[in-house]
Amino acid sequence: MARIFVEGWSPEYGAPLDPDEALAPAEGSVDTSVETEDWIPRDGVDDGVPRIAFVDGVRRVDARLTLDDPSGPVAGICGTFAVGAAVWDREACRSSIAHERIGRWAVLAGGRSEIFPVVALEPPYDTTTTPDTDPAGLIRTLHTKMRTAEGHVATAAATDSFVIADGPLNELAPVPAVGSIKSHRVTYLPPERNTVVAALGPRQRTPLFTISEYRRYSWYVRLADVRGGHAWSGIVRCEASGQLPAAEVIRLADRTAAVLPLVASESHLDPRAPQNLVPIAALERQLRHRMGEPGLVYRALREAVHERMAS
Amino acid sequence: MIHDRVGRVLGSEHTTTAEFRVVLEEEEYLQLDDLIVVRTEVPKVGEVRTYGVITEAEAVYEGAQYESDTHRIAELGIMPAAKVRTARVAVTRVDPEVWVSADPGEEVARATGEERRKALYADEMERPLPIGLGRDGAPVHVDLDFFDGRKGGHMSISGISGVATKTSFALFFLRMLTSVPDVVGSGAANLRVLVFNVKGEDLLWLDRSNRLFDAHEGAREAWSALGVDPAPFPSVRFWAPPRRQSGDVVVPDTGGRFDGVQVFSWTPRAFIEQDLLEFCFTDASDAKNQIPFIRERVQLQLKRWAVGVDGMPGAVALRDPSQAPDGHGWSRDDRVPAAQADVVIADLPSMVRALEIHLEPDDGSEADPAWTARVMPGTIAAFLRRLHAASARLGHLVRADADRRIDRGAANVTVVAIQSLHEQAQRFVVGALLRETFKEKEDTGQRLPLSVIVLDELNKYAPRDGTGPLKDMLIDIAQRGRSLGVLLVGAQQTASRVAPEVLENAAIRVTGRLDSAEAERAEYGWMLPSTRSRARLLKPGTMVVSQPAIPVPLVVTFPFPPWATRKEEVADAGDDPFAGLT
Repeated sequence: MARIFVEGWSPEYGAPLDPDEALAPAEGSVDTSVETEDWIPRDGVDDGVPRIAFVDGVRRVDARLTLDDPSGPVAGICGTFAVGAAVWDREACRSSIAHERIGRWAVLAGGRSEIFPVVALEPPYDTTTTPDTDPAGLIRTLHTKMRTAEGHVATAAATDSFVIADGPLNELAPVPAVGSIKSHRVTYLPPERNTVVAALGPRQRTPLFTISEYRRYSWYVRLADVRGGHAWSGIVRCEASGQLPAAEVIRLADRTAAVLPLVASESHLDPRAPQNLVPIAALERQLRHRMGEPGLVYRALREAVHERMAS
Repeated sequence: MIHDRVGRVLGSEHTTTAEFRVVLEEEEYLQLDDLIVVRTEVPKVGEVRTYGVITEAEAVYEGAQYESDTHRIAELGIMPAAKVRTARVAVTRVDPEVWVSADPGEEVARATGEERRKALYADEMERPLPIGLGRDGAPVHVDLDFFDGRKGGHMSISGISGVATKTSFALFFLRMLTSVPDVVGSGAANLRVLVFNVKGEDLLWLDRSNRLFDAHEGAREAWSALGVDPAPFPSVRFWAPPRRQSGDVVVPDTGGRFDGVQVFSWTPRAFIEQDLLEFCFTDASDAKNQIPFIRERVQLQLKRWAVGVDGMPGAVALRDPSQAPDGHGWSRDDRVPAAQADVVIADLPSMVRALEIHLEPDDGSEADPAWTARVMPGTIAAFLRRLHAASARLGHLVRADADRRIDRGAANVTVVAIQSLHEQAQRFVVGALLRETFKEKEDTGQRLPLSVIVLDELNKYAPRDGTGPLKDMLIDIAQRGRSLGVLLVGAQQTASRVAPEVLENAAIRVTGRLDSAEAERAEYGWMLPSTRSRARLLKPGTMVVSQPAIPVPLVVTFPFPPWATRKEEVADAGDDPFAGLT
């Protein structure tokens, strides 16, 4: 059995990577005629949906590992993620956190099948492996685990709530779920359609378009007029599963245009305002807290690895 | 699992042996002054119970970062947050006495029954006297050992005036004291209380039923919870000074009540024998110059020279003791005919006239140094000037016509009404009676029966600054009275204006509502910070009580009195067939 070492340097060292970038659909065949040919801003419609679940997850690299193998050192990471939903009961005017789940993973590179020692933490670490050998691949593996868990939360929450997920949808099951994407690294629309995005007022959306490669419907919503912002500040892109009937998606799109501005954040409180939604920000805070104190987690890891070496 | 759990010890901050916080259950609450208990398992010791009293209750939205988040949470509901209610606990006791802090996360329960008694040390009090009701409606006790002189003595009551709290509480305390002979123990029947009525005529109706009593909701239940029958004081005597300019008819100088009020005064002979001249010089300025020298000399001379006058029992004349039958001193039984006296001293003005003969001879000759103690002529003049002033203000309290000594033995409670007197005369009466009480106990050397003195506006009689015979005596009582069974229940608006020696000796300290600036003074250092801030808000009938047996001050309420405190409250004879029969 190869020996595993917990590295002393900072777990987050050298990982300035947003794996969602890789997940975000690239430019594909976009069809802007799915809802209407009349491309003008459309007003949102609040249909009074009683419960909205905002789904999100956070993750953290707890430690970097090195597997001391005769063939050479093998990299690995220990990471924790937390997923959950902030469920807004609109009739009761109350929000609460639900569907919380914590996952801890030891990810080993190069397809190694070592089992990570038992760590005195709840929940304990599961071991997984990835054929990749680069550090980014390790984090991507952890991220995928988190996204999958988010998908489960979204599916569970969708049974009694309208789901708004932070970021692109992972599981494209035909449930009333909408992904809300804050950044716009890829432009999907032809230039003349993009002017419609710029022309959106608050609580307005663009008509639907489809990204066929990814089997998603998508549309843009303006959350708020941002003072001193550019034409695209205050805009989020939403997407829904391509398996849903178009009429259903239109209803969801109208709803998001009306509802999302209600939970947009204020620029003096959140640097990512208004796109970083208030329930999402609060949920992330809570989830980070639930992952456990990083110092304690790190210490537990070192203890566990040390014990195995001693035995 | 404790069935009456209200919460758990907060674990996100350190618990200490003095203080910790409780996170409350969803359906439970704790309010100020509630009593709680926590059981902690201590290694090698076993279960340790920590008892405490709630000093603050708090609530917050956990998860709210900004103040405006409150709107997002409570009004819009778009932000998830948890309402967390906590209560701060001041530890009163650890049992067994292993001083460890309560474990975080331990269950917190209300202390009831035996545990409540333990939280308040009632189980350790040998002589628990109810001193009010806790927030839960059950009695809170003081250990009488700390009042009656066994382990400590005296009580100090502070509070702003106008809400009548201090006197009301003092009377409530007296009522408790006189109603529980089994707690007071031997000598309870002979307990003597001397109360001065210094304002209004509030205390002149203690023996009458209050017709508003039954209209006060909960009052009857509260008295029964305290174990005392709600009735007026059964054994009271009222004394008042004679009304001025009433000629030969001596009537009490009271406004609302005459029946049952007896007139008190001193005969010139008693005035001289008890050295009451001292209490004519109680002003702060009287201690300056050389006035005390001449005053002491005059007191001495008066004692030596005073001789009875034929046919006038209380009056005296001044005659050189060398003329006495035995050649060097007058005895009590010696009499001279009135016609032989230069001046028959039958009241204070005549005594001043008699003294002038010796101190300022008419013929302009030098005064007798045996009387003047060789002070400067200016001092003699100042002495006489003050004596004239005193004679005008309190002259009517000295009369030779009859012996109207206040008989403190006639009833449990003796109320002396001095509200109508000039301030100087009030000090005179207080001084004379305190001296008499204290001297009586000094002479017997017995602690029992107890003698309790209730004195409001203590700052007038024992001010922080200056000296005077009255202040000296009150300090003496505060320091030595405990062992002699003379116990002072002093009340004042502001403890910071009272001589510290008097305050420091009070084992039991009580305050009602305080002025907020006053509450911050060092004199109230025994209160917790949270109690201090509340002292501004206390309602009449609510007091903070500190006693040596319990390390934290407790907030208690005391019920509406069943005795009248104003003429208008007195029940008609029709209401109470026993009124006036006491």
